[in-house]
Amino acid sequence: MSLVVDGLRWGHAQPGGGWRQLFEGFNLSCPSGQFVVVIGSNGSGKSTLLNLVAGTLAADGGSVQLEGRELLGMRDHRRARWIGRVMQNPLDGTAPGLTIAENLRLAECRRRSLFAWRGLAGLHPSRADRRRYAALLEELGLPLADRIDTPVGQLSGGQRQTISLVMASLGEPRLLLLDEHTAALDPRAEATVMALTDRLVARLGTTALMVTHSLEQALRHGDRLVMLQDGRLIGDWSAAERQQFTPAALRALYGSGTVGSESPELV
Amino acid sequence: MLSIWIGSFDQGLAYAGLALGVYLTLRVLNFADITVDGSFALGGGSAALLLSENVAPPLALLVAVGLGALAGAVTGLIHTRLGVNDLFAGILTTTGLYSITLRLMGRSNIPLTDLHLAIDSWPDLGLAADGRWLLALVLVVAGLIGLLALLLATDLGLALRALGNNPVMARSNGVSTGRGLTLGIAAGNGLVALAGALVAMYQGFADVTMGIGSLILGLGAVIVGESVLRPRSVPMALLAVVLGSVLFRAMIALALQLGMDPVDLKLATALLLLAALGLGRLRIPGVSDAGGKP
Repeated sequence: MSLVVDGLRWGHAQPGGGWRQLFEGFNLSCPSGQFVVVIGSNGSGKSTLLNLVAGTLAADGGSVQLEGRELLGMRDHRRARWIGRVMQNPLDGTAPGLTIAENLRLAECRRRSLFAWRGLAGLHPSRADRRRYAALLEELGLPLADRIDTPVGQLSGGQRQTISLVMASLGEPRLLLLDEHTAALDPRAEATVMALTDRLVARLGTTALMVTHSLEQALRHGDRLVMLQDGRLIGDWSAAERQQFTPAALRALYGSGTVGSESPELV
Repeated sequence: MLSIWIGSFDQGLAYAGLALGVYLTLRVLNFADITVDGSFALGGGSAALLLSENVAPPLALLVAVGLGALAGAVTGLIHTRLGVNDLFAGILTTTGLYSITLRLMGRSNIPLTDLHLAIDSWPDLGLAADGRWLLALVLVVAGLIGLLALLLATDLGLALRALGNNPVMARSNGVSTGRGLTLGIAAGNGLVALAGALVAMYQGFADVTMGIGSLILGLGAVIVGESVLRPRSVPMALLAVVLGSVLFRAMIALALQLGMDPVDLKLATALLLLAALGLGRLRIPGVSDAGGKP
């Protein structure tokens, strides 16, 4: 298994007082290279799960292992060296004042400690780096190769999200976390970003967890579909099993909380 | 008349390290660092002490830079390890630095009247006595610009710029916020302390209060320089900051020449900065938000 979430525990204080234990012994195992789509209603714990795996939230207990390496307790910037992440807001995933090439260079160096002597070796992104990045963008079918020295802040939201996605794929990540990364995009940009997502996941062969509210996306992308509710896994289907659902049938599951791995009545 | 302008040009260059340090912390790291008021005096005081003990000037400058960097690192650690707000962290350090600098100096003022520097034997360029200083300061500042431009073009520099630009993105790409901020603030305050040491050497004395208002002077230089050059690259931004430092000094010299009472100097400085902020309509992180209408 590439990613093993075992007995994960996390709770939070509620605004009106009291405590909500969202995850209590949550388990999820993903084989190497599996593209898992996570769906669920608001507050079901989808994004929280990604934040706990990424380390932006501290778990109360349990274990999250990536290729045998325990992630819990690892500082978030160290954990990030193994994880490529695309966030919901296109503004969060890139540095607007840096050029496309500079953003890509930073992502490519995710494994290296830059605050050491090796961080001073050479001027980057060099011409060779920029040529390489332009070729990569061209290869991925992104019309940004000639804008490699443009500050990312000058790009549209969709373009920024594509750069964010390419960044997440650089530096040999062992896990891709995609947190509703098309939610802020128009349909055209969404289609571009999803097509790129499929290409990059296939190209990298990396385990990926994608959270989405789009049931169309959930039925069309990934190798496996899981549904969360109140921090519990209430549905887990392979790509073949998933074909039984229509978007309407899947929508009906939202909030029902009674789904098993076999749900023929919903077909 | 000419010597007054050359003098203000010299002073602008001597203060360039302060402006570059403020640029590094405020512009690159997006960290409002008040430590500069303390590290400027620390640099001036420590260099003056060493020079008065006949220590070689390059070594005195190096020690000043080291102490300034140490002061910056303390602020960085207070902020990143203890989670203290950037302004409070700077205030804490700079408050402590006043006593440390006074202890170090042993008295509130160290005159450097008998200071003999290697540059005394340089040609005076036919300008005035300050011509030698002009040449020395141009060399030092050119070196600083080159060094900083190179540093910011490395992977380490890229990580520092990303940290100031979008810390969330930087962290999610493996950049350590704690290390980056501490390193950047230390480097910035090293530059500020160097400026303090150069100013002490230039004016012939160091005073424990010489750092008061340094942040405003550095900020003024950054804003004026950016308003004039509107830089689009890091090397140009560094040049703009140095130009801003020189222009800022020239404006003060002009105001004094026009008969302004030196008592009003700080008020005039604040008004000048306010005017530059308003006219430049700049985004100054931590100082003004939108910087005016889009």
